Amino acid sequence: MIAKFLRIWTRMAVMSFGAQLSYGIGSFGFLAGKLIRLFFFFAYIVAIFSHTKSLAGYTLAETVLFFLTYNVVDITAQVFFRGIYGARRAVQDGDLDYYLIQPCPPLIRLAASTVDFLDLVTLVPVLALLAATWTKLPGIGLAEIAGYCLLVLNGVLIALAVHIIVAALAVRTQELENTIWIYRELMFLGRFPVDIYGGALKIVLTVFLPIGVMTSFPAKALLGLLSPAEGVYALGVAAASLSFSLWFWRDALSRYTSVSS
Amino acid sequence: MRKYLYVFGLSLQNVLQRRATLVMDRVGGLAAILALYYFWEAILQGKDEFLGYSRSQMLTYVLLMNVMRSFVFTGRGWELVQEIAHGRISSYLLRPLSYQGYSLSLDLAQKTIHLASALLELVVLVALFHAPVYVPARAETWTLFAVAVAASSLLFFFLEFLVSCLAFWTSESGGPLFCFELFLNFAAGSFFPIDVLPRMLQELLRATPFPYLVFFPINIYLERVSGPEAFRLLAIELGWLAAAWAGTQVIWRRGLAVYAAEGG
Repeated sequence: MIAKFLRIWTRMAVMSFGAQLSYGIGSFGFLAGKLIRLFFFFAYIVAIFSHTKSLAGYTLAETVLFFLTYNVVDITAQVFFRGIYGARRAVQDGDLDYYLIQPCPPLIRLAASTVDFLDLVTLVPVLALLAATWTKLPGIGLAEIAGYCLLVLNGVLIALAVHIIVAALAVRTQELENTIWIYRELMFLGRFPVDIYGGALKIVLTVFLPIGVMTSFPAKALLGLLSPAEGVYALGVAAASLSFSLWFWRDALSRYTSVSS
Repeated sequence: MRKYLYVFGLSLQNVLQRRATLVMDRVGGLAAILALYYFWEAILQGKDEFLGYSRSQMLTYVLLMNVMRSFVFTGRGWELVQEIAHGRISSYLLRPLSYQGYSLSLDLAQKTIHLASALLELVVLVALFHAPVYVPARAETWTLFAVAVAASSLLFFFLEFLVSCLAFWTSESGGPLFCFELFLNFAAGSFFPIDVLPRMLQELLRATPFPYLVFFPINIYLERVSGPEAFRLLAIELGWLAAAWAGTQVIWRRGLAVYAAEGG
C-alpha cells in the first residue's frame, strides 16, 4: 500500500516539477522571493542581536535555532501538502469527483496534486544554516538530536492535521477560501520562541492553536529545555489533532453531494 | 471624476459585502503584529531605549506598522496581472475611463476599509496591552505624517502597477511580482525598522524608494527626524512618487502597444 502511495506521489511530483520548469521566469521569481524572505528575516535577527545579548533569555544562536526550526516545519509542510491549497477549487470545479473514483485515497491524491519543488530548494539553505547553528550550541547529545528530529516530525504531522481540516472545510462548505491563508499568517507567531508571548497567548499557542508545539518544542528539546511531560504532551497533541482531522475529513466526504460539478 | 466616485462607492460595497472574508483577513494580519510586538517587548526588557528608540517609540512603530501596511500595501497588482494575462483588460480599454484612475478608485476603497479596521485594531491592541503609545508633541508632525502616508500609499500603487505591467510581455509575471512584494516588505521597514541593519545595507536601502513607504513616515510620526529633515525626506518621497508615476505612464503605453488581448 505504501509503495503504491509512493509511486503515485512520485508520478505527481515529476509532473509538478515539469510544470514548474516550464514556468521558468515565474518559478524563478517565486523562488527568489522565498529566499529573500529567508535572508532578510535572518539578517534582521542577526542585526538586532548585534545590539542586544538575549531575547527572553535566549542567545543569538538559540533564537536562530527557533527561527530555523519554524522554517523546517513550515517548509516541509509546504512541500508535501501544498496540494491542499487547491481543495476548494477541486470541489468547485468538480475535480474531487474524479479523485473519488480513482484507486487512491482522495486525500492523498489531493495533497499530491501539487508538490512544491521551490520550497524544497528553499529548504537547502535552511538546513545548511541549521547545521551551522548546531555547531554553536554547546552540550548537544544524541538524545537531544533524536528528540529534536522526533518533534520536528511531530510538528509536520500537526501541520498535516491542520491541512486536512482545511480540506474538509472546503468539501463541507465550498467556501472558506482563505482559511489556509489564515493558518499561514498565524504561523508567523512560530518564528520566535513561544516563551516571548504573554501568559494568555502562550497558552493559546500551546493548547488551542499548537503553533508553539509545532515550532518551539523541537528547538527546546534540542536545547535540553523540554521536560519529558511536555514531550509526551506534544506527541499527544499530534495524535489527537490527526485523529480529529481524519474523522472530520471522513465526515465531510460522507456529506459530499458533488453539488458543484 | 463622478465615474471614479461611483467605482469607489461600488468597490466599498463590494468589500463590505464579503464581511467574513474581511474579518478573516484582518485577524490573519494581526498575527505578525502580535509576534513583533512581543518580540520587541522581550528585546526591550530592562532597557530604556534601543538604538535611539525609546520603549514607547519602538512599540508605537510596531503598532503603526499595522496601520501603514493596511493603508499602503493594498494594491491591485495581482488583479492587473490576471486581467492582462486573460485579456480581460480589453473591456476596460474600450470604456470612457482611465484604467489607472479606475484601479486607483478600487484601491482607495480597499484602503479606506482596511485603514478603518486597522485604526479600530490599534485602539483594541493599545487597550489590551496597555501599550505606551508615542503621541507627537508638535502639531505640524501630524500634517507632515498625513502627507507622507498619502504619498507613500500612491508610491506603492504606482510601483506595484509598474512591476505588474510586466504581464504585457510575459504571462509569468506573477513570480517577479511576488519577489518584488516580499523584497519591498523588508526594504520598506514593514517588519523591522531598517536602522537596525548594518550601516552599509541601510545606506543601500536609503538610496531606493522603499524606505519612504513605511520607515520614513513612521519616523516622521515618532519625531525622530527634525523639522527641516522631515521636509527634505518628504521632498525626496514626492520625487520618487513623480518618478514612479512617470515610469508607469511610459511602461503602460509601451505595454498597450504590445498587448495582443490573448485569451480575451
